[in-house]
Amino acid sequence: MTTNRPLLLKLLFLAVSLTPTLTLLTWDGAWVWPLFGEFELLFQLEPLAAFFLLLLALGAPLVALPMARGTPDVPTYALFVLLLLGMQVLLLAGDFIGLFIGWEIMTWSSYLLLIRSTRATLEGAQTYILFNLASAFLLLAGLLVFYSATGDFQIAALTEASTAQRWAVFVLLGLAFLVKVGVLPLHRWIPLGYDQAPDLFSAVLAGLISKMGVYGLLLLPTLFPDALAGLAGRWLNGPTAGYGLAWIGAITAIVATFKAISQQDIKRLLAYSSIAQLGYVLTALGVGSSLAVGGAILQTLVHTLVKLLLFITFAGIILQTGQRRFNDLGHLIDRMPVAFFAVLIGIIGLAGMPPLPGFAAKYLVFVGLIDARWLLLLAAMMLSSTAAFIYCYRLIYGPFLGHANSPEARDATEAPMSYLIPQIVLMGLLVLLGIFPGWAIEIIVDPVLTALNLAPIGAPSWGELATPYGGYDGVILMTVFGSAFVIVTALFWLARGQLRRAGSPYDLSFAGEVPTADMPLHYGAGMGRELRRIPLIGWILAHTTTGIQAGLTRQTLATAGLLGGLYRRDPQTWILLAVLVLASVPTLLLLNGGNS
Amino acid sequence: MLELLDWLDRPSVLHGLHLVGSLTLFVIGLYGLLGKRHLLKILMSLALMELAVNLLFIALATTSGETAPILSDGLTAFTGMADPVPQALILTAIVIGMAVLALGVSLAIRYHRLSASADIRALADAQD
Amino acid sequence: MEFSASPIWFIALPMLAAFSSPLWVRWRVLDQLLLGIPLGLLLLALGLFATVQQAPLIETIVIAPPLGIHLHLDSAALLLVALFCFAVTLVAAFLWHGATETHLRGRQPFVLILLLLAGGNGLVLTGDLFNLYVFLEIAGISAYVLTAVRDDRPALAAGLKYLIIGSVAGVFFLLAVVLIYLQTGQLNMAAVAQAFAEIPPAMQGLIAVLALIGLGIKSELFPFNFWVPDVYRGSDPAITALFSGLLVKAFLFVLVHLAVLIWIDPEIARIWLMTLGALTLMVAELAALRQDEMRRMLAYSSLGQIGLILLAFGFLHESTAAGAFFHLISHTLAKLLLFLVAALLLRRVLSLHLDALTGAGRVYPLTVGLFVVGALCILGLPPLSGFMSKLWILQGFAAAQTFWPIALILVAALIEAGYYFRWIRVLYAPAAASAVTDSKTSKTAPESWATYAPLLLLVGLMLLLGIAPFVIEGALVDAARALLDRDLLIQSVLGVAAQ
Repeated sequence: MTTNRPLLLKLLFLAVSLTPTLTLLTWDGAWVWPLFGEFELLFQLEPLAAFFLLLLALGAPLVALPMARGTPDVPTYALFVLLLLGMQVLLLAGDFIGLFIGWEIMTWSSYLLLIRSTRATLEGAQTYILFNLASAFLLLAGLLVFYSATGDFQIAALTEASTAQRWAVFVLLGLAFLVKVGVLPLHRWIPLGYDQAPDLFSAVLAGLISKMGVYGLLLLPTLFPDALAGLAGRWLNGPTAGYGLAWIGAITAIVATFKAISQQDIKRLLAYSSIAQLGYVLTALGVGSSLAVGGAILQTLVHTLVKLLLFITFAGIILQTGQRRFNDLGHLIDRMPVAFFAVLIGIIGLAGMPPLPGFAAKYLVFVGLIDARWLLLLAAMMLSSTAAFIYCYRLIYGPFLGHANSPEARDATEAPMSYLIPQIVLMGLLVLLGIFPGWAIEIIVDPVLTALNLAPIGAPSWGELATPYGGYDGVILMTVFGSAFVIVTALFWLARGQLRRAGSPYDLSFAGEVPTADMPLHYGAGMGRELRRIPLIGWILAHTTTGIQAGLTRQTLATAGLLGGLYRRDPQTWILLAVLVLASVPTLLLLNGGNS
Repeated sequence: MLELLDWLDRPSVLHGLHLVGSLTLFVIGLYGLLGKRHLLKILMSLALMELAVNLLFIALATTSGETAPILSDGLTAFTGMADPVPQALILTAIVIGMAVLALGVSLAIRYHRLSASADIRALADAQD
Repeated sequence: MEFSASPIWFIALPMLAAFSSPLWVRWRVLDQLLLGIPLGLLLLALGLFATVQQAPLIETIVIAPPLGIHLHLDSAALLLVALFCFAVTLVAAFLWHGATETHLRGRQPFVLILLLLAGGNGLVLTGDLFNLYVFLEIAGISAYVLTAVRDDRPALAAGLKYLIIGSVAGVFFLLAVVLIYLQTGQLNMAAVAQAFAEIPPAMQGLIAVLALIGLGIKSELFPFNFWVPDVYRGSDPAITALFSGLLVKAFLFVLVHLAVLIWIDPEIARIWLMTLGALTLMVAELAALRQDEMRRMLAYSSLGQIGLILLAFGFLHESTAAGAFFHLISHTLAKLLLFLVAALLLRRVLSLHLDALTGAGRVYPLTVGLFVVGALCILGLPPLSGFMSKLWILQGFAAAQTFWPIALILVAALIEAGYYFRWIRVLYAPAAASAVTDSKTSKTAPESWATYAPLLLLVGLMLLLGIAPFVIEGALVDAARALLDRDLLIQSVLGVAAQ
């Protein structure tokens, strides 16, 4: 019996990780739970929430599978289950109280999961929880203003409120969700948190938890119908309030992209790339048209799949090598071919290149921007998505090509099966979505658009993506790319015998010097450093919000010290203060009484 | 001279005197509480302040000429008697005050035995 | 007079047991009474809820009010009495089953704890001002002794500090009572409430300030609460749990109760109470940021929560007051849990200093896990009761379109999160847990489940109230009504309507 206990635990854990799938498939109707007064929680599955529940249903078991490896870590399992529960409560909630409850459960359980990592520092943990709680409290403040305006917590259009109330709700809720998606300059918790979290948990953070911020942002059009246009009218072809959001998203995308390029740590790079990708989503949501929002939803889906894939893959690499910096890896292509293909597929999806669905998503967003005549934004998006190629390139080049830069990288073997299965599943899903973009539009995106009162995009067939500005056929595209890939690979294998191979990485010399073992020869080493010399980008890279945050912390602690000093005096001082109050208050009262 | 005594015997004057006296006592106690360092002196000051309050209450609640509120030979009606409530209350307060004082002194003695100090400032130095 | 329907049992029974316990030194069997009495009173209190909902119970002692002393058991008082009995039962059970500290074993601490219960119940129940002073001193004296009961230097220092500052509070409050009697000739609260308006305004102000300072010191409000961290630091955590869970709550209730009753103009009362509450909240939360000793940190956090409760009570609206009662309950639950966890930790490690506890979570997973639950409840995170109570308060403010307290409460919660999560992080720090494992681990046997049972009960209650707050909704709303409805109280005591 006792020998089976770990196995039973793992099976139970895996079974629980399937609950989002179960909820998605079986939840119907509305379930009401009373709280107090006239308040009650309402749980129902709206199409918008169903989309995010789908992400959860995909991601949870895929992450749970590698998590279940090794000796069972009961606290981690329990916290992960709580996290799933919180996210489901969040998504099922038909009112703001339920949403907030889910949001908070998600926040604290993810924090507790994060600090289970041995790499978590005090600074990282504090940044994570304080930013997230600040976001939660902004949300709470916003929904209290909402309540004071409507007398109800139900998520519904805010029609009868005054302008001040509407703006208050918009700003508070908007800020709350923007912190969660990690918009600049509110992003600092993301690189720290994703970097320091347990490796597999980073996949959940990037793939699932950050999407809850997107869910929140998608609720804003529900509260302010007509794509936020009711707030401040329209600008060019889109809503003015959305224009602001779109620019926040675009600037975030650009800055985060360059930040990502200059990172030396894989997980930090992925963190910054997440920020950038969600910046695209924000821009698209700002446009608010059917095309752009459709692109945003598709982008959310693709980003979830890609980030799950990349984080799980790199978690496998870190597990096998213990190395996480570009400088310390290299040449894993021979030893970890599945991981190589996973990252290859991942970066194609991340960069939004054809034939994978990332391209379809970006295409929709770009078309949406053109449709709204926001061309300056379009240029900004182009800039950042082009620059994104560089970090994508680093992701494949650094760990997989070139020389192996550490003994661990030299002796690594493929990750265990529990890591490979999710990788293969995710690769398959990405390729399938690439072949059938029309299917994704019709089955996944359109119901959400309809729920948001937007016109569905529609697709002539499952393989085709069609917009008023043209489209493409995923089947043909995939065939072309697939054939090209097969031909190039075949040629390479045929020519393999004739290529000269270096005997050792140090079998070279330059300028008369022979490199030593500790000299980084890897091309990926220090890549992105040169960016600092480019005027504007260099300035961006050199400036961070760390100083502001540190300053704020210092000031708060100084105030705390000052006030704490009051509490350390002797009893006589305490009594003296009481007597002083006694003496001063009647005096003040008498003075006031004399006046009135 | 008698006039002076009569004047002094007027309730308002008498009450005024009592008021001034007990307030003086209160302030002396407060001074001791804030200015002295020895624990016993602090406790004495506390007792003094309490005493001042008690005195104030008793003094202001009676007027000269009133008798104790006890029926006895010749006193068969509740007229011209002092209000019995303050006296009852003050008796209770005195008992309570004494209990606190006794406890305080015993704590101070224990503290002095353990630390060889009876300075109130030393109490503040107790660190983590 | 029926046996079951008298509020006097809540005071008389613990006192009787406390004072008579030296008589049965030989019969150890009777010691069970010391644990049984608070439990019995708790059951009695729970049984009385339905009765009290109809009409408050008034127990007159010898003469009818306004001349005689009376005890006034309305919904508000009953809620607190039930809470106090619960807290004492719980702490007593915790100590009964495994106090390793010799000074907390045996009869003496239980006698004092029962006196504390009697004092707390008396404070809440009494309808007479001087009687209030007596209970204030009874609760005070038992608290001073409980602080010093460990009889070593820090405990004695803390006890002396508490005694000195507590006596000053007593003198101020007594002076206020004396002045009230001299001005109105009344001591019955309801009668004083009626007569208070006729006092000259300057004297009104003086009385109010004296009473405020006296009760402010006792109920740990900002400019008067400097003694709290030292006292909480010096006494045993299990005892401190009672101070934070029972004693402060009683004084806070008295303060609000008197303010509502006596102050004619609710606007002035509102300004005063809310200012004090807000100040206490912010100052305490900020000061807590730099505390490196668990008991001190918990003390500051307790102060902050007291400020929050006062802020909500002080708004004098039914909805926030009900929320404040709820928060009072959930804060008691959480602080009992946290202080008892501190007590458990202190049985195994030598110091509750932050550095000494680094990595403790990996050595004592259950104990530190309970700490995390308590911290989450204090921070007001769902699904624990602290969230529901805060939500109740916040929605009360939002419904009244008053937003500054909301902002204040949320900022304070963020600061609070700053230090609680710092502690949690350090408790789970991966650093070599040498400091923890070196100390006392080897020689203490692992705790039995009986030790954890009270703590787990607390967690269960927090969850229950956090998920299903409607189970106590009726009691809370009744309590808020009873607290805020001044006319009703005066009428029920004196039988006449207030002017």
